[in-house]
Amino acid sequence: MKPESEKYNKVLNVLRKSKPVLSSTEDIEREVIKKISEVHQSDVVLSDIIDFLFGWVYIGWVRRSLIAASIVLVLIFIYQQGIILKQINSLSSQTIIIDGENLNTPSDMIEKRLMMYKIDGRRFSSKSITISAKQMEQLLESVNEMQVQYKDLLNLIEEDPELKKLVEKKLIENTRIKIKL
Amino acid sequence: MIDIKLIEECRGGNLNNFRKLVGLTSPFAYSVAFRMLGDEEQAKDVVQETLVTIWQKLKKIKSAEGYKTWIYRIVVNKCYDQMRKRKRNPEFVADEQTWADISNRISEGPSADLENKETAQIISLLTNRLSPKQKAVFILSDIEEMTSDEISGITGMSSTAIKANLHYARKNISEMVERYL
Repeated sequence: MKPESEKYNKVLNVLRKSKPVLSSTEDIEREVIKKISEVHQSDVVLSDIIDFLFGWVYIGWVRRSLIAASIVLVLIFIYQQGIILKQINSLSSQTIIIDGENLNTPSDMIEKRLMMYKIDGRRFSSKSITISAKQMEQLLESVNEMQVQYKDLLNLIEEDPELKKLVEKKLIENTRIKIKL
Repeated sequence: MIDIKLIEECRGGNLNNFRKLVGLTSPFAYSVAFRMLGDEEQAKDVVQETLVTIWQKLKKIKSAEGYKTWIYRIVVNKCYDQMRKRKRNPEFVADEQTWADISNRISEGPSADLENKETAQIISLLTNRLSPKQKAVFILSDIEEMTSDEISGITGMSSTAIKANLHYARKNISEMVERYL
């Protein structure tokens, strides 16, 4: 069936021609203005409530006091941050300093310091070196390995008297060379 | 004629200028609302609500052409809301006598000056089986004689969707016309 049949077009023409007539434009106008005024009134009530609750912020001395209080709070905050940063820096400098002595620290202590290093994530202070966590783990492993090997070596020397004598002799010779130098 | 100057004057909050805008806007807003809803009181409510929305959002309007599209969009959306609410109340089904009366009125041709009630009855009966979207596209395209671009701007549908909805609506209404008129 063709939609654009004669009957269909006739019906459409009639409907197009019969424009709905708005009989009471004034009524609509009045109602709209009334609704707008009501909305405006409710806005006024809302602004009154807001003024009542927060109007005190417009009082001069209250405003100035609040500004002063906020400045004091900001200064306290900055001061506290400074102290915290200082403490973190001092902790960082204590963390791991590789200068011979600290390598003798027990391994669990080193691990604790490593933890601190991970949490802090900051650079070490001067006279120290910065290494990654992975490198630190490798270092700890090699230190442990060296300690084990050192103990084994000591045992070997203790068990073999000839070797012990030889080592003692070598050590005495080394000491002499150092003294000469 | 609605021009941007009048809209700008209304933005300042002048209710007298807004009265002029209400007078110019109401007829075409009412025309679409009435043809979509088929009920004078509901159409008037939609027009009123639309005009209140316009007052609240006047600042967003940038051109007179945009204003008209915007009005139609608000009207159509408010009509959708009304139609959704109305779903609970089933539409009345016309008897043979009613169809015969309508047929007689239409056979008078374009000179037949239909009253609002008659126009509403014919549109309601013919579009009874259409979805709100199909009804909107049919009214805007075939009765209000708008272009596809204008309808797209109002309904937010793509041109393909408009064509599909319009094709279905025309086919359906054509069947009704052939069967009853």
